[in-house]
Amino acid sequence: MQLYELNLHEMIEGLKAKKFSADELLTSCQNRIDSLEKNLNALITRLDDKKISNPSGILAGVPTILKDNICTRDIKTTAASKILGEWKPPYDATVWKLLRDAGSVLIGKANLDEFAMGSSCTKSAYGATKNPHDISRVPGGSSGGSAAAVAAGYVPFSLGSDTGGSIRQPASLCGVYGFKPTYGMVSRYGLISYGSSLDQIGPFARTVRDLQIVMSVLAHHDEMDSSSFREKNYDFSYDESKLNLKGKKIALVKEFQSFNLEPSIANAMDKIKKILEDEGAEIIEVSLPVVSKYSLACYYALAMSEAHTNLERYDGVRYGYTVQDASGLKEMFERVRSYGFGPEVKYRIIAGTCLTEPSRCDEYYVAATKVRTLVAQEFARAFTQTDFILQPAASSKAPKINELDQIDELKSYEADLYTLPVNLAGLPGLSFFTGYDDDNLPVGLQLIGARWSDPEILNAGIVIENHTGSPKIANGGLN
Amino acid sequence: MPELEFTPVIGIEIHIRLKTKTKIFCSCSTNTDVPPNTHVCPVCMGLPGSLPRLNYEVVQQGMLAGMALNCEVQPKSLFFRKSYFYPDLPKGHQISQCDLPIVAGGFIEVHDENGNLKKIRVNHLHLEEDVGSLHHSASDGRLEGAAISYVDYNRSGMPLAEIVSEPDVSSAKEAVEYVTTLRRRVIYSGASDVELEKGMMRFDANVSMKCSDGRWGRKVEVKNMNSFHALEKAIEYEIKRQKKIMLQGGEILQETRHWNDAKGVTTASRVKEFYRKFIVEPDLPPLIISQEWIDKTKAMFPEMPDVRARRYVNEFKLTPEAADMLTDNKALADYFEACVKAGAEPVRASHWVRTEVLRILNEKALKIDSFNITPDSLANLIKRIDAGKISTTQAKEVFDAMTNNNLSLDEAIKSCGITEGGIVGDALSSIIQKVIAENPDVLAEIKSGKDTKGKKLKFLQGLVMKETKGQAKPQEVAEALTKALN
Repeated sequence: MQLYELNLHEMIEGLKAKKFSADELLTSCQNRIDSLEKNLNALITRLDDKKISNPSGILAGVPTILKDNICTRDIKTTAASKILGEWKPPYDATVWKLLRDAGSVLIGKANLDEFAMGSSCTKSAYGATKNPHDISRVPGGSSGGSAAAVAAGYVPFSLGSDTGGSIRQPASLCGVYGFKPTYGMVSRYGLISYGSSLDQIGPFARTVRDLQIVMSVLAHHDEMDSSSFREKNYDFSYDESKLNLKGKKIALVKEFQSFNLEPSIANAMDKIKKILEDEGAEIIEVSLPVVSKYSLACYYALAMSEAHTNLERYDGVRYGYTVQDASGLKEMFERVRSYGFGPEVKYRIIAGTCLTEPSRCDEYYVAATKVRTLVAQEFARAFTQTDFILQPAASSKAPKINELDQIDELKSYEADLYTLPVNLAGLPGLSFFTGYDDDNLPVGLQLIGARWSDPEILNAGIVIENHTGSPKIANGGLN
Repeated sequence: MPELEFTPVIGIEIHIRLKTKTKIFCSCSTNTDVPPNTHVCPVCMGLPGSLPRLNYEVVQQGMLAGMALNCEVQPKSLFFRKSYFYPDLPKGHQISQCDLPIVAGGFIEVHDENGNLKKIRVNHLHLEEDVGSLHHSASDGRLEGAAISYVDYNRSGMPLAEIVSEPDVSSAKEAVEYVTTLRRRVIYSGASDVELEKGMMRFDANVSMKCSDGRWGRKVEVKNMNSFHALEKAIEYEIKRQKKIMLQGGEILQETRHWNDAKGVTTASRVKEFYRKFIVEPDLPPLIISQEWIDKTKAMFPEMPDVRARRYVNEFKLTPEAADMLTDNKALADYFEACVKAGAEPVRASHWVRTEVLRILNEKALKIDSFNITPDSLANLIKRIDAGKISTTQAKEVFDAMTNNNLSLDEAIKSCGITEGGIVGDALSSIIQKVIAENPDVLAEIKSGKDTKGKKLKFLQGLVMKETKGQAKPQEVAEALTKALN
């Protein structure tokens, strides 16, 4: 057994008991990256710093990787876009400050779909990331690099961001646990914005208990983020007495039951339902008519509208890619943005511009803000009837990279319905590992809770994990 | 055919900088007296990943400014993103409250052409951030054609209030009175210093014309006025221009025109207006202001200048002119009231403040805050005049000595060689004897009875007064002198 194979809580215990040194652990992880990175391309930037800011912190000496849309002081941060060039932020994102202050060591910045826009991790200016379970397949996205890095054993945990499933879907496709916290639970300060009212940073790990450890470090009020919670503290500590689902209600969404699931996902649903019932939980149905009918249109209107204003700042004046020989301002803006942004980003900027254009703004953007309220209300009502909602996190197994253009539109529509409404309502969602299918690819599902039920979801996740077992480390294309 | 009459219909938009320690969405200082790009941070530079957070001091000042315009505080307001591309705008959008503002529905009173009071309605005041400032290397200081342009983001994120009037203004004169009165009230409220020379107040005007034949001209937005004078001239010019076009039967184009202060004309903006869109600023929650906070702010809202002037007339029996003059500047009015509170008679105090105090402030280019005679000292000086201890002439000398040499009242009186209460009795007699002895020829003339008109007596009287340095009462001198001669 190599050190990199340990899960986060095992590393923490091992370091504390001095079974191995932080240096040995870091070296083991770096060696793992050395041997796999050419296959996976999970990282945009590799770092070999071994400095531990807080030797007595809870994460002292534990290596980590951040999605490259999270700002790190004096370390290149790209959002996987050419437009940011070699930009090195002069400041740290709050999440990195918290991890570093807890003793964690940053060894890489992970690949993503440019500006977190995508669900394949192929739309990056730095090339596609490969799924470590089958390198001919995508890892999912947009946090594909962060998910692949944990699945392949680069690090025991990493951070991603989730605007419409960007943590939960790649976690599912890479066979790791991925958690999207309640909107406001984790500070967004220093996260390069895509859809500000939807974006949320969250962790990936190979056990739910590890997610708890990371959440206990990240869940803090941050005065730098006005959407950060203030009311109370949340307890993410591991507590066996709380691992109990007896009498809990777990709902399936009525409107999603007609979807024709892939056999591996349908089997996983049956398996998990059985586990939950065995644990004493009751499986019920809730109806979400507004969510199923209107939430996708609502989501895209809001995400694109916010995205195009968030991307207005990339004009070549202050940082990142620029041109020196433009004749006049307009030409400078046009050339910088034409070259700097990739096609998917341009598509979303144009869509957002159209949706908020004065003559259409009421019909699309303003209407969407109203529908959003209805979506949130509908979820809130549902959570008076149930504790959690169970559904897939993706509608299919990881697609082959060379078959991406053949994805079934109906399947991607269903996939969107599993993930996007959760962001509209600001809910917490856990993507969890259930097992492997016949092709030895991981299959994941999703558990959604009411706002601020984050600790309870993770406890439920541990109960399930105790039945399914934790995922094994993917071989990353090595034989 | 009757002559056509034209009525100008004018709305005014004003930007003022609110007085706060830090910027509107970050903790950078609002002090502008620093080298370029030194009071900046990731937030006001709009760096990727940074988030705005509302400075509650700005909210407080916005409420106070709104109250000065007789507006109502809105319990819930929102921030929006106002999009356009320009190098001085670091995020590519400006965060502004636009049409869901912090305060709304006020008015400012001005005098119409007949001297009657009329209300100019204030639609609202909203909060927003300022942009950076551009410096171009081109000789004409314009962006187009400049080889190099520099951007200074120190101003980026400075707190601004935009005040939008209803189109109730009918002349350039009313416009100037509107902005003057508004400025005075806002300064009084403490929300802003509105220092014009520092560009803390900028104007745009929407001008259109209504013709007595029923025609309405389209609205023209005139921009780029940075002084009261520019506002007045720009509106006058625009009224004349539009009237001429309408008299010739032409159409007024709906457009944005720029005021060229040097040439005294408005010119059609060559640059097409930026295409603007608004979405709710997702990084800032709605601004909710509690009734408690509104009440607290109301309690700290000071008496406005017009109310104060009326009180001076009623309570202190000042003339309306004197009351207006004193209340024009809040600090000066505060100084005057402190004098009165320290026991000075109000009318005399008003006179001293308006003449002597203002004279010194003007001569030395001082502000009342840094004037070295305290209201208490001035009140004591006035009290001694009233008690007959020193004359008004002496008091002015003492006053000058106090301010020029930084002396206390008693020190100044001593340095001027003044005997309080004047020279009387034996002291006066001995001076008279001395003067008589030194002028035997004059004495002889009086004795001879040639001084029928009393001219020589007056001459001696003058010499005595001079000898006492004005510290004797003229009547007493006359009596004592006559007595000595007999």
